[in-house]
Parts: sequence; C-alpha cells; structure tokens
Amino acid sequence: MSNWERLVWNQRGLLWQGLAVTIEVCAIAFAMAIVGGLLLCLVRMHVRPLRPVAIALIEFFRATPIFVQLMWVNYVWPELFGWPNTFFTAGWVALGLQSSGYLAETFRAGIEAVPRGHREAGYSVGMSPFQVYRRIVLPEMLLTVAPSIVNQFTVIVKSSTLVSVITVPDLMLQAMKLVNIWYEPIEVLTATAAIYIGFVFLVSTAGKALADYQRRRFGLNAA
Amino acid sequence: MSEALVDALNPALFWEYRQVLLRGLAFNAYVFFSAATVALIVGLAAALLRVNRAWPFRWIGTLHVEVFRNAPDYIMVIWVHFVLPLLLGKLIGQRVEFSPFASAVIALGFVYSGYFAETFRAGIQSIPQGHLDAGRACGMAESTILWRIILPQVVRRMLPEAVNQFVSLFKATTIVSLIAVPDLMYQVSMVTQQEMRPLPLYTGAAVTYFAVIYVVAGSVRGLSERWRNKIYA
Repeated sequence: MSNWERLVWNQRGLLWQGLAVTIEVCAIAFAMAIVGGLLLCLVRMHVRPLRPVAIALIEFFRATPIFVQLMWVNYVWPELFGWPNTFFTAGWVALGLQSSGYLAETFRAGIEAVPRGHREAGYSVGMSPFQVYRRIVLPEMLLTVAPSIVNQFTVIVKSSTLVSVITVPDLMLQAMKLVNIWYEPIEVLTATAAIYIGFVFLVSTAGKALADYQRRRFGLNAA
Repeated sequence: MSEALVDALNPALFWEYRQVLLRGLAFNAYVFFSAATVALIVGLAAALLRVNRAWPFRWIGTLHVEVFRNAPDYIMVIWVHFVLPLLLGKLIGQRVEFSPFASAVIALGFVYSGYFAETFRAGIQSIPQGHLDAGRACGMAESTILWRIILPQVVRRMLPEAVNQFVSLFKATTIVSLIAVPDLMYQVSMVTQQEMRPLPLYTGAAVTYFAVIYVVAGSVRGLSERWRNKIYA
C-alpha cells in the first residue's frame, strides 16, 4: 500500500491544514448562525413593523440551496454591498445565512414551547420583560432545542465542502489539489471522504452527548 | 450601489436565456426524480435490515445509515464520479466510466437513502406489536404483513418528514453542476462566462430556485396534510 503512504500519509500536513480551515469556517458560520437566527427569530416574534421582512428573509434563506447562496454571496454581494472582500468571508457568510434561517425557526418553536406559567411566574416576582427573557425563556428554549442546534452544526460542516468551489483552501480543496497533481484520485478522495464522515460522526456524537448532559442536569429527559 | 442593485434585479438578461435555463431546471427535476427513486428503494432496504432480527443484518443496516448520513453530499458526488469507476474497473478488469448524470444519481441517491432509512425505521418501529400479531393470527405471511399492514401505515406517518427530505434532496441537486451535469446552475455559470455579468444571472438563479422550492414544497406539504387528515379522521 505504498500509494496510501505516498499520497495520503506524506501529505498529512496539507490535509491537516485543510481540516483546520474547514473547522475555522464552520465555527465562524455557526456563531453567525446562532446570533443571526436569534435576531431573526426575536424580530419576527416581537417587532411588529419588521415582521414581514424577517419572515421573508427566513423563508428565502431556508428555501434556496446552499450552493446557489454561496455563488450569490460570492459574485453578487461584493458589487452590491462592496463586501465580502475575501473568498473566506463569502464562504462563512453563505453558510451562516442558510443556517440562521433554519435556526430562527427552531428557536421560535423552542420559545413557543416555554409554558406561559413560567413567564408569568417571572413577572409576578417583579422581573422586567428583559430579565424574564434572559433568565427564563432563553435558557429553557436552549435546552429544548439543543439537539436541533447540534444537528444544524453537522449540516454546516457537510455544506462547508462547497466553499472549496470558491477556492477557500479547506480540506476538500487540498484533496482536489492533490488529485490534480498526481491524477490518482482513489486513495486521496477515499481518505478525504473517510475524514469527513469520521469528523461529522465525531461532532454529532459529542454534540449529542453534551446536549443530553445539559438537559439531564436541568431535569429534562435525554433527547 | 443603486446601479448594481438595478442591474442585479433586472431580469432582461435572465429572460433572454430562458430556454437554456429552463432546460437546466428541467434537468434538476430529472436528477431529483431519479435520485429520489434510488434513495427510497435503498433506504427501505436499509431500514428493513435495521429492524431485522439477525444481528449481522442490523449491523450492516446501521453501518449504511451512519456512513451515508454523515457524508457530505459534495464529496460523495466527487467520489462516485472519480473513484468508483476506477475501483469497479479494477474489479472487472476493464475500463469503466460513469456519465456525470449517472454519478450524480448514484451519489445523491445513496446519501439520501441514509436519511430515508432512518425515517422508514422510525415509522416501522412506531407500529404497535399488536398489529403484527393480528396479521400473524390471521395466517398472513411476513411479506404480506409488510406490504398490507406495515408499509401503508409507515408511509402516512413518515410523510411530513419525507417531504422535508425531498426538499433537501432537490436543493442538493444544484451541486451536480460541479461535475458538469447541465442543470440550472451549470447553465448559469456558462452564460456568465459568455456575458461576464454575474449580478443578474446569479440573482435570477437564486430567485428561481427560491420560487420553485417555496411554491412546490408548500403545496406538497398542504396536499400531504390533507391526505393524512382524510385518512386519520
């Protein structure tokens, strides 16, 4: 199996660099998706005049394929808004947009699932609406939707393979580079696929364990 | 900014190439239906393996689900297009080549079969044991029980979840343009190379996909809800 050694093991530095870029893109996109999703969800539920705008954005992000959004952000936004000015930024912005639409709906379902009595209990001990949100509604919502959040993160990791198309040097792009140098795709692509599958499996298993731990800690059943 | 905005929202260029682009969209639908057929058949097979009594079958079914549910669809499309033909060629000792369309259908079909298998399995396991016992008590064969008692109920229960997965699958068909299947995104990038005007073209593509997915998914969801209500009522 000298091919495996020559094409995969000896190139581990490159593949590792690529995986690091993949993790970086996913982490930034995930942070953006959480913040953006929460924002969209709160605007949709509580800011009457902007409600139609929030709904339109959520539906647009959810109903357009990630690849189309990526191309759109990459080619159209720089001329429309003068931003994003690097491929890397365009990559995480597109990934984040898509997921913020999904997470906004997830958060809304979670907030609506918080029993009315919990909120009223907060008001009756003199909490302000902001305190009720920060102390009661948001923590309960996060626990309810924790499994969906983990799931959305794996979706981001899987979609992040596409940022290689706009030349972000992630794992996928490094693998394709190696393929184009030697024209021997079998080992490199199989190894890359295995790395991705293993990575997503690891992330989803660890995420589920964390979500279940937190839910049990606060007296909910593991999901 | 405003000039760029007007350019992006001006549908004239998109309209000019409507025939090519519409053919591309039809190709998306073609890939979608082919891959969905593969996904449903393979998914059902994997689900039946996962609920089998013999552990080696269960183990194979679980492996199938875990591999394909955790695989990004882009790398699977690339892998099936560039690696699978070489492996098959080594196996049978002659040159094998997949058309881009065949690779796309195999890859997307298998990736989504993992999701469908889980949906099927959840549906199958939600059926009360009593229904199976009733079938056996009437002397039905196991296969008759599967087709007459289990699957009709499973289909109704899993429909909302399955619709979501069909939507994801349709969205995933956009990436087949990367292995030169002539779908809408592929045509858009071709026209962009000729015209050098990405703004209206990519905006048009995004709006087209949005409209198609929003309208079709919405009406399919509505129809399936009505059908379910009619049966359960």
